[in-house]
Amino acid sequence: MSSDFMALLTIMATFWLAMFVIFVMLNRGIWVFTDVSKSMSMFMLEKALGPAVDFVEGRKGSGAKTWIMHGALWLVPSSFFTFSGLWVAHDPTALNSLSSWGYSPSSEELILAGNLTALHGAVAMLLIGAGMHIVPKLGGTNLASERNAALMSFVWTLSVAIMMVGAHSPQLLGIKVLFVGTMIQSLVVVAVIVNQLLTASSRTRKMPLPAWLIIIGLVSYPVALSVVLISGEIETGLGQWALVRMVGGAFFFMQVAGVSLYAASIGTGNQLWSRSLSAVILMGAIFTLNPLGDNTGSIAAGLLGLEQGILEASNTDVIAGSFLMALAAIPIIALSSNILVTMRGDDVFVENPDYPGMPEINLGGLMLIPLGIGALFVQTDSITSTNELAGISGTIFLMVSWLLMIPLSLGPALAIFPEVSGRSLLSNIRSRWAFWMMAGGAFSGLLMTLMADFSDMALLEIDSESNLDGISKEIRVIGSVLFYGTVIGSIMHCLNIISGTFRGSISGADQPTSSTSIGQESFKLTSGTTVRKILASGAGLDTEVVPTLQTDKPGSKTEL
Amino acid sequence: MEEGASIEIGEFIQGEGEPATSWLFLVLGFVSSITFLVLYGILYPGNDLPVISSMLPMFEGVFDSGIWFFILGLMVGVFAILGTMLSEATSE
Repeated sequence: MSSDFMALLTIMATFWLAMFVIFVMLNRGIWVFTDVSKSMSMFMLEKALGPAVDFVEGRKGSGAKTWIMHGALWLVPSSFFTFSGLWVAHDPTALNSLSSWGYSPSSEELILAGNLTALHGAVAMLLIGAGMHIVPKLGGTNLASERNAALMSFVWTLSVAIMMVGAHSPQLLGIKVLFVGTMIQSLVVVAVIVNQLLTASSRTRKMPLPAWLIIIGLVSYPVALSVVLISGEIETGLGQWALVRMVGGAFFFMQVAGVSLYAASIGTGNQLWSRSLSAVILMGAIFTLNPLGDNTGSIAAGLLGLEQGILEASNTDVIAGSFLMALAAIPIIALSSNILVTMRGDDVFVENPDYPGMPEINLGGLMLIPLGIGALFVQTDSITSTNELAGISGTIFLMVSWLLMIPLSLGPALAIFPEVSGRSLLSNIRSRWAFWMMAGGAFSGLLMTLMADFSDMALLEIDSESNLDGISKEIRVIGSVLFYGTVIGSIMHCLNIISGTFRGSISGADQPTSSTSIGQESFKLTSGTTVRKILASGAGLDTEVVPTLQTDKPGSKTEL
Repeated sequence: MEEGASIEIGEFIQGEGEPATSWLFLVLGFVSSITFLVLYGILYPGNDLPVISSMLPMFEGVFDSGIWFFILGLMVGVFAILGTMLSEATSE
């Protein structure tokens, strides 16, 4: 009993110590090895790749653009796998005709494929792509290696494709497929981390907290894995569960926080509301166990090619784990409030709501708290081995993916896309339609599925052998059909992004979605506003403020 | 042709407009294909069509479940994405 207690706190304490050491090294360097490591790292990023590096041109922003495009494209298969999984759950024979091709997926396999492609494909690639633009921008420098960044996106996509196959067939020809995908992805993570660290080392000004959130979030992925491996708990249920919490809370949550805080500010033109809350998010994400995510360690075990361990938690495990997860409410609430207030400024309405990505960020900010609380209940139920809420854990995980992670990664990617590619999206109206299809489909579809889960749980509690083909099955049918809106929305987003890359208006030349026309030389004052907003929008002390009753916005009145 | 005389190479000309009757040949080709398929069925009764007949069993269960209409929609969407990529990259 005491060894289990020590195991959980030992893992966490080691993780905290490692992150602290890394943070100090990032700021102070590594003594005499700093310059040597920089030049060696740069060599490994570009020259060591050999002739492959000549396939890419290395233009500014190409790395971020490639990662964002890949991430957006992964939304389509991930949404469809999830939709198929929800459908097959109530109609197991729906895909039987594919068995003639050797493909007979179950609902669990399809849902797992959907979750892996959504998190590791769409979310991770959108976050990394956005981070490759944000960190150099906030550091006043350029990305260390655009070529390596662009190339690594293809390798990451390959690893996600392997994971997609591995979700259906964990073992092929004696090879653990998911483990192969994880190894390839780990290689790419190292390359991305080195690229970002080199970028940060050449910064010309003090980096704001969103950039540090992104960097620390990236670094935490290999650190968390190493800590659990060194602790010897990787094959136990407790170690695997703790690894999922740490990766979810640090790698995913911190990056989501960094990119969404940046995008909320630049998209609305408001400055970031609170630096203190940003610091709370950074510290809280490291020192707590984030409840958002899978309630077992099965994903960690599968990706590492291990057998899933049984989660046997002692009383002290339960107290420590529950306490650390409850504390995670602090960074979650801090992030939600910081996003929502930054987007709104002085009143309750979102400023510049037509700017691409703003609806997604708003949705994610609103869903942080309810899903955080719901996930906390599910995780606490799981760690206490009560398992009364096990029936809804899968749907809660899907909600976290599609109503929180994906909006808070896709929204910032859409918002920074004009800066990254030099062109706006093809149509802001289509972007809004795509948002309503995705958000409406995910929210309504998963809510219906959650209702069906509660119905099944109630029936099974009364009679463990009761027939579940009643009203809950009909509700599941409705839920799966509604979720198809997410598939349509993801296709629409992809089409909008791809067309915008080629035919979108040149960024900066035409900004029809901006509510004010702001240039460095002049600022047209069309209505009452604050000095804070004028300065936050890019104007400086030498900018001429010109009061006027007319704007350049198309369709506005003209004074005669 | 005299020895040593220069050869003038004409310029490649391609019209931009589509002739009004080009559709006639497309229809002729389609009707010919259908005719040959019917002829195959008459000349070789009881024999399955090559390739096509081995793929048809996959579609036997298509209308057993409504998911296939949604899969059809996904296929339209995926090909729309691919088509958009190709057309945008090659358009002038």
